[in-house]
Amino acid sequence: MKTREFWVLFFPSLLVMGALLVLPLVRTVQWSFEQVRYGVPGEFVGLANFVEALTDVRFGRAVLFTVSVTVVTTIILLVGGYIIATAVNRLTITRPLVLGIMLVSYVLPNLVGAVAFSWLFDDSFGGLANRIIEAFTGNQVLWFTDQVPNGILVIANTVWSMIPFAMLIILAGLQGVPSELKEAARIDGASSFQTHLHVIIPTIRGVLGFVTLITIMDVLRMFDNLIPLSPQAQSIGNESIMLYVYSVAFADGAQRLGLGSAINVLTILLILIMLIPFIRGIFKEAKAER
Amino acid sequence: MVLIRYRATPMIALAAVGVLALTSCGAGSRTGNANATTVSCGYTAPEGKTTVNVLAYNSSAIDPFTDTMVSSCSTDDVTLKHDPIDFGGQVTKTTATLAGDTGTYDIIETYGFVIPGLAEDEKLVPLDDLYDELAEEYDLDALSESMRAGMSYDGKLYALPMQAQMFVTAYRTDVFDDLGLKPPTTFDEMITAAEAIKQAGVMEYPIALPWLATADVSTSYQAAMNSLGADFVSADGEVTLDTPEAKQALEAMLSLKPYMDPQVTTFDQPKVQQQMFNGTAAMSIMFSGRMNDLTLPANSKLSDSFGFAGAPKLTADAPYSYNRLSIDGWSIPFNTKLDKKMLFTMMASAVSEKASKASVPAAYPARADMVTDENSPYGAAANDSIDSAMPPVVSPYLADMTNEIRPILVEVLNGNLSVDDGLAQMQSAGEKIAG
Repeated sequence: MKTREFWVLFFPSLLVMGALLVLPLVRTVQWSFEQVRYGVPGEFVGLANFVEALTDVRFGRAVLFTVSVTVVTTIILLVGGYIIATAVNRLTITRPLVLGIMLVSYVLPNLVGAVAFSWLFDDSFGGLANRIIEAFTGNQVLWFTDQVPNGILVIANTVWSMIPFAMLIILAGLQGVPSELKEAARIDGASSFQTHLHVIIPTIRGVLGFVTLITIMDVLRMFDNLIPLSPQAQSIGNESIMLYVYSVAFADGAQRLGLGSAINVLTILLILIMLIPFIRGIFKEAKAER
Repeated sequence: MVLIRYRATPMIALAAVGVLALTSCGAGSRTGNANATTVSCGYTAPEGKTTVNVLAYNSSAIDPFTDTMVSSCSTDDVTLKHDPIDFGGQVTKTTATLAGDTGTYDIIETYGFVIPGLAEDEKLVPLDDLYDELAEEYDLDALSESMRAGMSYDGKLYALPMQAQMFVTAYRTDVFDDLGLKPPTTFDEMITAAEAIKQAGVMEYPIALPWLATADVSTSYQAAMNSLGADFVSADGEVTLDTPEAKQALEAMLSLKPYMDPQVTTFDQPKVQQQMFNGTAAMSIMFSGRMNDLTLPANSKLSDSFGFAGAPKLTADAPYSYNRLSIDGWSIPFNTKLDKKMLFTMMASAVSEKASKASVPAAYPARADMVTDENSPYGAAANDSIDSAMPPVVSPYLADMTNEIRPILVEVLNGNLSVDDGLAQMQSAGEKIAG
């Protein structure tokens, strides 16, 4: 491709990315050092916003909760997604039907899905899951006011909404594994489990890395599903970082855009730290290709 | 035949998409409210096409007034634009639109609680001159004097009151009659009734109150303090969250907890309504705007079994009821570029006698003597309740203070913090706001 041709094709993307990604990022970093209210020029306050965020116990709890949910969800999605993808890969005639049904939770808007999901655990709206649990255990679980059950509820909803994505990507990876490889493993006497562990998974590690990358980025930014699932998030310590940002920067007429920006900068750093292994992997692969 | 079959699928798909698109358009419409009407709206239109942006949250009590204004005051050249929004969204957008020299909205819905703060910051246009000019034409003097006072600050009127909401008790008449109970007039009577209902095995958690950890719970605490003649601040601006009344109010709220769902701090008003609809609660106290929903057969098979009473007092000797009088009204933001007289005319039309009459029973309009036992199923209860509500304490700090103390209040109600420690922390948080 000629240089001129490259720039003609690339420039529109560069323009859009600059306007929608770079400019807001620059403004966020700028505001993180300022006290900002709507319609008024910001006032430079140095590191005050960062100090306030980092010394706020609530921010620490939000980070802990968000990272915990992210780690647990990512593990469940990888394992569950792989198992389901393997099962779906064996289907023939019914595969489109199964895939269609599974995609419902993925295509639903997050908030709508979370509201419907919360009703399964809410006696005011039938609480189907509660009835089943009560029938077996005789206990009432306080899904919305106890920290651990509520955390489980949030993780379950996140897994429910994201597992079709993980399954689809892994399924595509599985279909790319050469049958000769699996055949060779079987001839060498490998069990089914060993074939998965030593042949198939290493072959699709790039795909699994992609699923992990997207999952970490998505779950670290969780916000809207907590509105119905954790109405008392702040009080029970199940507030995500984004919910915390909304709460301190915008909710109830608050105008602390500087503090909100500082927390966002810290979140970006957190995401980068969590993605370091994957970013390193991408660089290594790029280097090897050269 | 093959051709027909070949074309049938895409045609069905196209028809389905068309139906979906049409229904989607209909879903965004804000007209057609059962309690809205058409009124005269005689303003002098500016030259050229004009759009008047209206900010008002959606609820069954506000929609009649908004819809009446939008449908009656829109002409070929002047379009009133109102997009659906919830209360939280309105709060955020109000802050944003009033921040700079230019704003998005030309008419905004306000309420008594925020008027002092917005007026102090000169974010709203004082309406006294326009009121004097147009009062006779729109019979504005018939708007309740106390509600006009509730929308005033420092002697100036900042909003035309449209409707008020006050706490009303809803209870299950069938359950109360069967057990020989009377509607409670005090918290002790509520507990006695709840105990009797529990003992009879009718339901486990007979009381449902909106104590969601948002404005709901702080409003409820304020209502409890109001019953004792106190508020978060005194009339002279002193924070009063470490007073005996503050403690008594908090303890009274805690005394109801054994009779409420353990997850009550996640209940907003719609969820309390749902408890009543489902028959899982026999008593609730909510703002009056939520009461009409209980009487609609489409919402619950128990719609015939709900009775209404004024809000109870904390104790028999308390001066007022457990109550908050919330007055909603229309204001003009300081940064609108449109003609203020035109905007005031639109607001006055929306609170005219005809519009107010049409809003009953969904709303309790600001015009005196409009709600009665005959035209509203909860009319008598609302009238009782409004008579027993403490007059609001006016302070520009109340709104911010309420946000600040809320997390501490929730901790106390959840049993994670003692009453004394909670009060000390709330007092400190309140003093930080009030200076």
